[in-house]
Amino acid sequence: MSQVLDEIEACVPALRRYARALTHDPDRADDLVQDCLERAIRKRRLWRPTGSVRSWVFRILVNVHRNELRRLRRSLTPISLEILPGGDPAGPDVQPDRLALAETVRAMQALPAEQREVLLLVGVEEMSYAEAATVLSIPVGTLMSRLARARAALRSLTDTGVPKLRSVK
Amino acid sequence: MSRDHHKITEYDLHAYADGALDGPARAAVQAHLAENPAATKDVDGWKRQNETLRALYGHVAADPMPPRLSVYRIERKIRTRASHWGRMAAAAILLIATGAAVGWYGHGMFAPVPPARIGLVDEAMEAHRIYSSEVAHPVEVWAGEKDHLQAWLSKRLARPLNVPDLRADGLALVGGRLLPAQGGPAAQFMYEDDTGHRVTLYIIPAKEGREISFRYAKLDRLEAFFWTDEAISCALVGDLPRARLQEIASRAYKQLG
Repeated sequence: MSQVLDEIEACVPALRRYARALTHDPDRADDLVQDCLERAIRKRRLWRPTGSVRSWVFRILVNVHRNELRRLRRSLTPISLEILPGGDPAGPDVQPDRLALAETVRAMQALPAEQREVLLLVGVEEMSYAEAATVLSIPVGTLMSRLARARAALRSLTDTGVPKLRSVK
Repeated sequence: MSRDHHKITEYDLHAYADGALDGPARAAVQAHLAENPAATKDVDGWKRQNETLRALYGHVAADPMPPRLSVYRIERKIRTRASHWGRMAAAAILLIATGAAVGWYGHGMFAPVPPARIGLVDEAMEAHRIYSSEVAHPVEVWAGEKDHLQAWLSKRLARPLNVPDLRADGLALVGGRLLPAQGGPAAQFMYEDDTGHRVTLYIIPAKEGREISFRYAKLDRLEAFFWTDEAISCALVGDLPRARLQEIASRAYKQLG
């Protein structure tokens, strides 16, 4: 049993990252993760190793977040730029400038939640399409069309003539 | 598996941008992109989106972890909570001894109860039978001296005892007494409702220091819920309906714990 706990524990950093990207609010994000972990831990005896622990806990997180959205009825929170990473972001060969990052944050907040969900699972969590589809409980085909729509929407929301990211490599 | 002769779909392009293709499939898309600047622009755009999103959110995973998100801490919290509230529900482990003591011991076979526990319930029921019918001297120390009663029995059992307040269950404290039990002292607190029904709470120091969840036993008309926490083993005895007795036991448990 504690092996499952260990596997859940190993997912916590990624769950926080995903929750933060979904909500753009550190406290709310950690609340969601905590809620998710409590559910997962309580239900861990029901979990059967048909998929990965990761896709299972992510599915719980997605559901917790959707429930919350339903409750909040998507009250539009003012855009916070606190999300922006401080000094230098991760990759040495990618240095999107702060303006572009801020623009993307705005765009992400404007995306429908279901598009944000898929874009982040694939783009940030780097899940395979099959795993992301499992997390979202949808067929891979649905996932693909949702991903395509999300990318098009993000692009149209950021393609407004303001400075672009420097190209890669 | 060669994709050379297949039409490259938009989904292939996404898969390529996400690094999900390898081998011939990847090569096929690369060949396609070489001839399609528009598609190349799309794919580059998607890659940049991924990179921007990672730059935006990637750092969160490396943030210091707040203790409240510790899996083991949450697990402990759930376990503690469960032992507080779930025990009563967990009284599904019902040890119902039908008839006399033979039945009682017999049932221990399929729901093993440590011998000490049987002693506890037997003694608690016996003490209940003897003292709850007493009119003049049901207790040694009356409720009027509750503080003294609590201090005295805590000292004799070498455990801090908090005499539960069961007025919310319609039970007033009558008082308590010290009793001899197997190998040591026992405390008995007596309560009474407005119809004169008496309920007793029988407490001995826990020996093995192992928590035991709520169990239920019935003997003649008497019913008992018994449990063990870190410090004490308790049995609540009365001739009340089981559900009511269970409510009372749960309240007593919370206050004693």
